[in-house]
Amino acid sequence: MIRFSRIRALLAKDLAETFSTAQIVMPLIIVPLVVVVGYPVAFLLAIKAAPDAANGLKDFIGSFPASAVPAIPGLTAAGRAAYIGVVYLFSGFFLIVPVMFSTVIAANSFAGEKERRTLEGLLYTPLTDGELVLGKIAASFLPAVGFAWVCFGIYTVIVDVLGAPLVGQVFFPTMNWWALMFLLVPAVALFVISVVVMISTRARGFQEANAIGGSIVLPIIGVVAAQASGVMVLSAGVVAAIALAFVLLDVLLLSVIVGAFNRSKVVSYLP
Amino acid sequence: MSDPGSGLAVEVRGLTRVFDAVPALDGVDLEIPRGAVFGLLGPNGAGKTTTVRILNGVLDPTRVDVLRVLGQDLPQGADLVRPQVGVQTDTNLYDRLSARANLSLFARFYGLAKKAADQRADELLDMFGLLPRAAERVEKFSKGMKQKLLIARSLVGAPSLVYLDEPTAGLDPEASHELMSYIRTVSRAQHTTFFITSHRLDEMEDVCTKVAVLAGGVIRAQGSPAAVARAAVPRVRVHVTPAPGVRIAPGELLALPGATHAESLDGYIAVDLRSVRAVPEFVRAAAALPHDLLGVADVPPTLQEAYLALVGSQPGAPDPAPDTAAQTGTEVAS
Repeated sequence: MIRFSRIRALLAKDLAETFSTAQIVMPLIIVPLVVVVGYPVAFLLAIKAAPDAANGLKDFIGSFPASAVPAIPGLTAAGRAAYIGVVYLFSGFFLIVPVMFSTVIAANSFAGEKERRTLEGLLYTPLTDGELVLGKIAASFLPAVGFAWVCFGIYTVIVDVLGAPLVGQVFFPTMNWWALMFLLVPAVALFVISVVVMISTRARGFQEANAIGGSIVLPIIGVVAAQASGVMVLSAGVVAAIALAFVLLDVLLLSVIVGAFNRSKVVSYLP
Repeated sequence: MSDPGSGLAVEVRGLTRVFDAVPALDGVDLEIPRGAVFGLLGPNGAGKTTTVRILNGVLDPTRVDVLRVLGQDLPQGADLVRPQVGVQTDTNLYDRLSARANLSLFARFYGLAKKAADQRADELLDMFGLLPRAAERVEKFSKGMKQKLLIARSLVGAPSLVYLDEPTAGLDPEASHELMSYIRTVSRAQHTTFFITSHRLDEMEDVCTKVAVLAGGVIRAQGSPAAVARAAVPRVRVHVTPAPGVRIAPGELLALPGATHAESLDGYIAVDLRSVRAVPEFVRAAAALPHDLLGVADVPPTLQEAYLALVGSQPGAPDPAPDTAAQTGTEVAS
């Protein structure tokens, strides 16, 4: 039987530990903020400063179907470029951000405790295998997705403030962005975290877990993120369907991880 | 088949654990009554940690005939056993959390609500003299304070069975004494079973009701400390203390019945006797000597002597005496 009060306690401990060390948290926060704030601001300011330069983006704009941009009266080439950039170009970042964040925290979950020699104490407690694994996954999932949503909020404000004058109206978030942020991002983050936590149970230390986890997960997510622009051109329903596929994968993966978790094996990897 | 009503806290028969074809434990048998203070003694690498891990369902045995803890068969009953068990091993605390948060966290794992967990944490911090520093991060604590906190953490769930690994390591003598008193009191008053591994044999001899000596993955002896010592160290020694100003030559005592060796030491003469049965006759003969004596005292072998004899670290250590073992009900492996 799983007791959620125990999972909450483990989660609270992990979050308190993670966020008590500025050296770990600050790079995790600053790099994504630069990406999701700096790039769009630079992009929109450049178009605003030189609207004619948008003509130079003809090939880029032309690669999107006409249906990618809704019929907005009086939409200029600069406005179309701004719309496509904001809605499609940066969507991949929002898959990368939680993945970066969660890979580090998830790699630290079991492997970090092994390295700090705290894991064995945890294994002796009444926490069941399911509670241990789910607590560790939740401790990576919640901050990663929460931070992605914070970035999304900041991005929304920035692109509406800077982009609305170019497009002629407040246009963001679109339906497919709601589906991206609240369905696909959590589903992909959970997939990544589950894989990395599984690796973390077997790794001897954080660096090993991070390196193996990153080398397995990042290429997969890189491909997904690279395709994000194309996927976003499709309907919100397609985004939701892809998210659903990841959810099914997550459920399968979680049941495998909880079932395969074996204290005896974990102990045998202790230094 | 589990037997929750059994008088044994731990029952193990034929426990074997092999790592990479090397046996860490080889056919270990243990019986620990509920309420006992049990000491598992052994050199580094003897298999003590492996034993503790297996008894907590954290490590699977390679082979075992019976593995029962608090009436539950392991490893399948591990989830039922862990809530009744507290463990202090050579692990670390969460350094970036406060002392209170460390204890409260574990109290919550044992099912206490947040407020009750904080109260339980404060009770234990108070008991170990750490309450004034409850809010400080553990990383600022000394080794001794961390050790106290680890022990407190093992008690947070009010367990029926407590495993303590080198509990007095890093503690000052006063704290060690208090801890031993606590263990003695709680085992008697609450019938809590303590399973202690330690190299401090004097403490183990003082506090344990039962000990086992583990070496090379094999239990060499188990029983009460005195019985194990008697069984493992066959010599029988008395100290003859003459009155002030009286001089007795060792040769006079060596000539008495049963004496095999006599040596004059600081204010007394140590005399080795042939057997326990020789003691009464020797005492009568010593009392009949024309010298004033302050006393003749039996000096039983210590647990340390027994330990050294059993683990083979003492050059020329005598083999354990099977007849003495049979008399005391102590098990000694040859």
